[in-house]
Amino acid sequence: MVRTVIDPVTRIEGHLRVELEVENNLVTDAWVSGTLFRGMELVMKDRAPADAFFVTQRICGVCPVSHGHTSSMATEAAFNVTIPNNARIIRNLVEGAQFLHSHILWFYNLAALDWVDVSQALKADIAQTYALAEQVGTSTADFKAVQDQLKKLVAGGQLSIFTNAWFGNTAYSAKMPPEFALIATAHYLEALRYQSEASTVCAIIGGKMPHIMSSIPGGTTFVPTDDNLSRILFRLKAIRDWVAATMIPDVIALAPFYPEATTYGQGVGKFMAYGVFDRESMKPIDRYLPMGIITSGLNVADVDETKILEYVDRSFYEPYPEGADKGINPTQGITQPMAPKYDTTTPGGRYTWSKAPRYDSQPIEVGGLARVLVAYLRGVPEIKTLVDSTLAKLGVAGKPEVLISTLGRTAARPLEALYVGNLMIDQVNELIASLKGGDSKFFQPYDDAQGAGVGMWEAPRGALLHATNVSGHKIQNYQCIVPSTWNVSPRDADGKVHGPMEQALIGNPCTDLKQPLEALRTIHSFDPCIACAVHVMDAKDGTENTIWTGPAMGVL
Amino acid sequence: MPGKNGVLLRELEARGVSRRDFIKYCGTIAAMLGLDLSAAPQIAEALDNASALKPVIWLEAGSCSGCTESTAQSDNPDIATIVLDILSVNYTETIMAAAGYAAEQAKDDTIAKGGYLLVYEGSVMTGWGGDALVIAGRKGIDELVTAAKGAEAIIAVGSCAVDGGWVAAAPNPAGAMGVGPYLASVGINKPLINLPTCPVNPVWVVSVIVDYLLLGKVPALDEYDRPKSIYGQTIHDNCPRRGHFENGEFVREFGSEEAALGYCLYAMGCKGPTTFTDCPVVRWNHKQSWCVEAGAPCIGCGGFDWVDNNAPFADRLHNLPIGTGVQPAVLGWAAGGIVAAGLVVHGIGMKAAGRTGRVGVPTEEIKEYDRKHGAKGGDK
Repeated sequence: MVRTVIDPVTRIEGHLRVELEVENNLVTDAWVSGTLFRGMELVMKDRAPADAFFVTQRICGVCPVSHGHTSSMATEAAFNVTIPNNARIIRNLVEGAQFLHSHILWFYNLAALDWVDVSQALKADIAQTYALAEQVGTSTADFKAVQDQLKKLVAGGQLSIFTNAWFGNTAYSAKMPPEFALIATAHYLEALRYQSEASTVCAIIGGKMPHIMSSIPGGTTFVPTDDNLSRILFRLKAIRDWVAATMIPDVIALAPFYPEATTYGQGVGKFMAYGVFDRESMKPIDRYLPMGIITSGLNVADVDETKILEYVDRSFYEPYPEGADKGINPTQGITQPMAPKYDTTTPGGRYTWSKAPRYDSQPIEVGGLARVLVAYLRGVPEIKTLVDSTLAKLGVAGKPEVLISTLGRTAARPLEALYVGNLMIDQVNELIASLKGGDSKFFQPYDDAQGAGVGMWEAPRGALLHATNVSGHKIQNYQCIVPSTWNVSPRDADGKVHGPMEQALIGNPCTDLKQPLEALRTIHSFDPCIACAVHVMDAKDGTENTIWTGPAMGVL
Repeated sequence: MPGKNGVLLRELEARGVSRRDFIKYCGTIAAMLGLDLSAAPQIAEALDNASALKPVIWLEAGSCSGCTESTAQSDNPDIATIVLDILSVNYTETIMAAAGYAAEQAKDDTIAKGGYLLVYEGSVMTGWGGDALVIAGRKGIDELVTAAKGAEAIIAVGSCAVDGGWVAAAPNPAGAMGVGPYLASVGINKPLINLPTCPVNPVWVVSVIVDYLLLGKVPALDEYDRPKSIYGQTIHDNCPRRGHFENGEFVREFGSEEAALGYCLYAMGCKGPTTFTDCPVVRWNHKQSWCVEAGAPCIGCGGFDWVDNNAPFADRLHNLPIGTGVQPAVLGWAAGGIVAAGLVVHGIGMKAAGRTGRVGVPTEEIKEYDRKHGAKGGDK
């Protein structure tokens, strides 16, 4: 039994370390550590209630819009404010554009490098690449130019962002032809362009992206004009068309190269979504992607937020006054950091800055897969059609449970991207209809003296909660449970129940201790919002025998 | 006039960037450098002829990755061109292919070879003796020192890297600070370029890097190590809504008719008069918008200690009334004084950025609008 560590985990947001215990080429245990503490919740104390919208967006440069919206929702709940209908649609639009940005960037530019060995693209035959693109129904590009670009990089001896990649690793599919690698590389470059177009939609509404300005508590500062509506609409159409013509066929073409990736990474098998994209009712259960929880099999139920408790037994926070083993609801949450000392060898040791949220004492997975499963089980027609047709194309018709895996989790978000692309075009049209109908209300004033409220919404990577408690026009307590806190949460005090990502890693193949590529796929499938390296230690005598992953041997 | 190699131009064309777009971009660079537009072809040629890619190490510390995200929104050149044709970005946690030990090795190799630019994103985390941030078993502060020692120059992108940003806001729970003050505290003196705002504007990152590649030196900096060409004027100086300010036409409630008419946001707390950046000129995200165009008052994210100095954001500049005939140059100075006090505390040093010298610059004593409304007790 040996241990291997990925630190830093790259191609994620933030700082993450993953330690794996490996026996007979299988992961037998895992410790997931967040390795940075900043203390946003403490910074918010004593500030003006509305300022949380601006400052808490800075938790994350990838999903600031979601933090901003959840914060404004918490503030609005505290002061019993209902935002005007136009503001609802405009918030949906800026949120949806951020989802499109995030899904495109994550799938192609962060996750895909675990599945596609870019160095293989050097060997591709250009004519066959066009033929393959046509055969799998994905879009073409100037494949020769892309290949020349790669050749130039290799010839120049400077590989830039591809330096020391794990290319050449035997866990890359041997069946994938070089021509597919070239197609994927071309689309990797196109994705860099389309993620930026999607962010631009956020900026047209929010002033800039990351960190928008418009979705303030009470509504929005953005007042649509003919000019900015057309700039939004035609960008959204171009993005939606690219997702439909490129991203979806790429996923369907990629999956058959990795059939084994549906057999690992299941995780805790429990899922929760708070829901996102409000309808006029403003009820989470009514959202376009609705709220729901799945705790046994494929059965969806309603979320009871009082069942959410956060624990700190294995995290770098002082024990709660009520007792070390007691959980606290985020509305009463406490953040008291302690000096960190990473301990993954002693039973009960602390090893992360992430707290451990639990629902009804259970770890829960959140994210794109959770949203898609909840929407599927709630019968959202477009999601049902998308999922069912994709399963049929992959030869697993009627088996949505195959989505509960590393490959399935990776495929769920591109499917969601197409749904969101279509929905956003509908939302622009809904906004235009509302404006034509004479509705010119965008903001609802309110008194911010006193109140407590919770906002529950979705970031691209999962369920997001902010809770604010105000008196005397000042924030007395502010707490957030961000999606990755659910997913990268540590094990329970007694070590018997693991966090969702830890559980998903257990049972993963690990054919190369120095480059545990399968595990990296599982980690990226969650799109964790935190960053890590791989070292190996002998668990028998507890001595750390630092065998870091060796430099990559690939062509690039 | 593609250079002898012509490689860059060919690659750009392959990616759909026309020669015309590229020359136009070089014109932007020329303008940023304060050169005549006729310098654009020379810039194009210099870029095109560059043989080796400049190595870059991009470190993320107490960051949200927002400055990496923002840089990925660069348009001409786009991010692919930047990382494949202009620079060899050998280490950047958010987008590099390598992970774990292989990633750290790429960084160590680059440091060993030298001749690289260091880009630093996020706050320097000094809490718990530097244990607030640990990467690959090494403290974030030690990583900074190692990478800074071998760097030709350091670019601190975003307010967090400049002075700790929001992470250093009271009570500064994890001991966050800026790169400049931290390196000074450990006796490291390297050319430093500060690019505050939250996040950084990609146009500035690209212009500073290209400037460095062309001239081999950092651009002209002010006393806070900020490029003068970017941070020399206030947002208020260049705001397209300035005319409404002069006319006394203010937004007094979001969602109002005045908001729809695009009136001045000063009464809503806009920090444009005390914030020194060229946001209204370069704009954001492919030049499609910027904060004020979205109907939102500037929150001063390009200022020093921006959260503590500017919050509550909805408050008018330090509650100085605008209906009393006080003019913006004076306001800028008055608020600047308060900012200055904060800066001394945070060790940046401050000689009020240009504005102090302009106190007393004659402006009209009182606006007609203010005279009218002043009698009613100001604008509120």
